[in-house]
Amino acid sequence: MSPWWIVFKKEIRETLRDRRTLQMMIAVPVLLYPVILIASEQILLFGRRSLEAERQPVAVLGEAPPDLMRLIEARERIRVVTLEGGEERAIDAIRQDSLAAAVVLGPPAAEDQTRQAMILFDAISDRSTRGRRELATAMDQWADTLLAQRLGERGLPASFARPVAVADSSVARPEEVGGYTLGRILPLLLVVITLLGTFYPAIDLAAGEKERGTLETLLTAPVPPASVVAGKFVTVALIGVLAAALNLGSMLMTFQTGVLQFVGSFGLDFQIPLSAVVIIFATLVPLAVLFGAVCLGIAVHSSSFKEAQNALTPVYMLVLLPAMLPMFPGIDFKPSLALVPVAGVSFLFRDLMAGDADFVLGTLVLLSTVTYAAMALVFAAGAFGSEDVLFGASGDDAEVSTESLWTRVRKRSFRHRTPTVRAALTFVVAVAVLFFWMGVTLQVRYRELGVLLSEILLLLIPALVFVRLGGYAARETLSLRLPTGRAVGGALLMALGATPLAWGIGWIQSFFLPIPWEMLEGFEQLLTAETTTRLLWLILLLAVTPAICEEFVFRGVLLGGTRSMKTWQFVLLNGAIFGAFHLSFETVIRFLPTAWLGIVISWTVWRTRSLWAGSLMHLINNGSIVLLGTSPALKEKFSDPNTPLPVWIFPLAGLSLWAGTRVLSKLRPARGAEDLAALWKEG
Amino acid sequence: MIRFQGLTKRYGSLTAVRDLTLEVRPGEVYALLGPNGAGKTTALRCLATLLQPTEGTASVSGADALHNPLEVRRRIAFLAASMGLYERLTARELVEYFGRLHGLDGEHLQARVDELVALFGLGEFRNRVCGRLSTGQRQRVSLARALVHDPEALILDEPTLGLDVLSGQTIYDFISWERSRKKAILFSTHQMEEVELLADRVGVLRRGELVAEGTPEDLLERTGEPNLARAFLSLVSENAPVEAT
Ligand SMILES: Nc1ncnc2c1ncn2[C@@H]1O[C@H](COP(=O)(O)OP(=O)(O)OP(=O)(O)O)[C@@H](O)[C@H]1O
Ligand SMILES: [Mg+2]
Repeated sequence: MSPWWIVFKKEIRETLRDRRTLQMMIAVPVLLYPVILIASEQILLFGRRSLEAERQPVAVLGEAPPDLMRLIEARERIRVVTLEGGEERAIDAIRQDSLAAAVVLGPPAAEDQTRQAMILFDAISDRSTRGRRELATAMDQWADTLLAQRLGERGLPASFARPVAVADSSVARPEEVGGYTLGRILPLLLVVITLLGTFYPAIDLAAGEKERGTLETLLTAPVPPASVVAGKFVTVALIGVLAAALNLGSMLMTFQTGVLQFVGSFGLDFQIPLSAVVIIFATLVPLAVLFGAVCLGIAVHSSSFKEAQNALTPVYMLVLLPAMLPMFPGIDFKPSLALVPVAGVSFLFRDLMAGDADFVLGTLVLLSTVTYAAMALVFAAGAFGSEDVLFGASGDDAEVSTESLWTRVRKRSFRHRTPTVRAALTFVVAVAVLFFWMGVTLQVRYRELGVLLSEILLLLIPALVFVRLGGYAARETLSLRLPTGRAVGGALLMALGATPLAWGIGWIQSFFLPIPWEMLEGFEQLLTAETTTRLLWLILLLAVTPAICEEFVFRGVLLGGTRSMKTWQFVLLNGAIFGAFHLSFETVIRFLPTAWLGIVISWTVWRTRSLWAGSLMHLINNGSIVLLGTSPALKEKFSDPNTPLPVWIFPLAGLSLWAGTRVLSKLRPARGAEDLAALWKEG
Repeated sequence: MIRFQGLTKRYGSLTAVRDLTLEVRPGEVYALLGPNGAGKTTALRCLATLLQPTEGTASVSGADALHNPLEVRRRIAFLAASMGLYERLTARELVEYFGRLHGLDGEHLQARVDELVALFGLGEFRNRVCGRLSTGQRQRVSLARALVHDPEALILDEPTLGLDVLSGQTIYDFISWERSRKKAILFSTHQMEEVELLADRVGVLRRGELVAEGTPEDLLERTGEPNLARAFLSLVSENAPVEAT
């Protein structure tokens, strides 16, 4: 028997005796869907019932003929109330929710003329839109009878006024509609359950083994470390696959078979074709391998269960974000997304469930996931076998303070004048999640004001709170020094070079990635400025605010925490994260140009040690877009998709960029956090 | 047989073992004596291939711990002070597992496991998982686990830690028996009676350095103390001179 197989058999036996793993592996995946289904159905039914039970109060203002009143009173979901005091009063009542909607009738029209009418309602209230719909239907019916009357008087048939009858019918097959809805949530669940399936066994087999002291005895047996890793790893991956399989099975049982008869009442018909089930499962296998290897590789560095759990929490976050992407409307599955770990899988699942998966994309996802899994495996194998892993970090790091957590937190913050890489990354991920959920809500609800609010409340303020609570030195962490004249000049040159090049990147990219014109049109609508005040407001909203708020997060906290890495590393990382942040709630096409700007700005801020230099660049970039978008003359010239940007601009931009780097290279850059910590110790 | 040659192990700036040279011959029991933190466990772990020496070598019958770790592992039984046992396996499953890892199989494995179960009285808790065993029971399982491949050298880190007199006696009997089978035995301890009862030779570690070595009688003679406990105290006390060995 080969050693890895011996290890594997023993690990499986032991794992199957562990209640915690069994819960995660069997109980959660199997029970999840029935519970979700029953719960959401109850909520839905409850909501619907309470809305339906009550008839919405509506009012009719103006002189209403009896036949119209009859039609309105015939509608079952509304009841007519009398209202004193005309239109003003009705508007108030609707705002206060005591009235759902009102129809205001104009004076009766002369023969063959049109009578004016208006329905008052509140677009953001469910009750009110319901009342409006009912009123509108009654009004239409009334108009139809009037029309039929007029035609009859002239001896014309009713069809006279309807030369064409259009009925629309959605071409989406019922299973597509069902799959579309569920398909947005289920991929996320499949991915997360697979992760959870590997999470606990990985911790148990790596950190748990260390915590109980068994790794020490295991490694005195004559087995190469690679076999130990292999045996453990296969166990973890297999458990992950098993959890995923049970999860998929439970999902199909719940939604697809008649076992639970709830589906009908949802009004959706959810069918996943067998071939899709097979592909989903085939993709879950390398995904489980990927997760297993990553979790195992990280968990071996921890010496206890708790520690491993903490160390793996960021992994959980990093998986959650891309897995959630398909839930957002308007993001299409493209080759570039297929290559993003986890996101590709999630999108593929979504499309498979909606019944319109693309073969090429599917293959791409499978291949890239297999590649990532192999890379993670190499990482995990490298993690085992070093002695640090066996007995914890050696040397001075091994000193563990026994002071209370609070004292340690405070001391730590004194030792670290700037956040650690891990703290900074955790913060940015947290902010991104916050921005995702609350930012979208704010923007939907308050529109432009919501954009402003979300930038301030969800980016700027969290960054300040983070620095304050962490006890970091704000000036150093956020690079708050004022820029010197040279720094401003350099930053200007960099911005003048980087901005056109960012457009250039976008333009080149448009040959590979289609530009979503609907989105651009929406953007253009936002960017209409008839008055100077409006233009100023747009500049404040879209250029000044991000130039401050986003800079505090990305060139402030993120850069401040990652400066201890190598320059090219933290600059690239900054660009990638900045790009990803913009990618997440709009579209893929913004990634590269934004990442490029992130790279240039973070390098500049690092050299100048001034966040304000970054703000200036950010302002120039965003401001130029606003001006370009609002001025018709410029728009003509630059944003016609068929004509390229004026080419002469690129050499000039390159020159400006080069000059900028020359100017800034003369400055002394900010030091890494480690040096500062050392200085602090000495001082 | 067992050999340390100029072995030094540093953890960062801390030197846990400094220039350790000693040898244990077949049929000899060698006690490594030292106060807490003297570097006993560190030295034994270097030999057991769990740590890499910073300088010098540790070897078993010519197989070097650093360059030929798998061969060293085949030749030693290592009993760690932590007695790491898999909590969800029974004693028999555990011993079988290590037997397999050492390349035993089939009838051969079963026969060997039966033998060890009888030797250490593991039959009495046949169906209980290790997580539920008492300290003494665990120690017996650990020994059976370590010895499953009947190796030529035994490395025991505080084998009687936490045991009562009776269980301790079982260990002493077992060590004497293995000595009669010409095994080389190296164990660490801070209990004097163990040394008196078992050890053919003693090495005293103080802050990672071997400050004295010899038979128990030698040490008494050298320190001029009436008993080993006093001798040990005088050897490891802070102002005792470091003796060239
Ligand atoms: N992984 C490690 N990293 C850093 N220092 C360590 C590590 N392991 C042990 N040490 C230190 O090395 C020194 C020797 O430790 P060691 O465990 O070898 O002592 P010992 O003689 O076995 O002590 P005891 O009798 O208490 O078991 C101690 O100061 C200990 O704190
Ligand atoms: Mg010890």
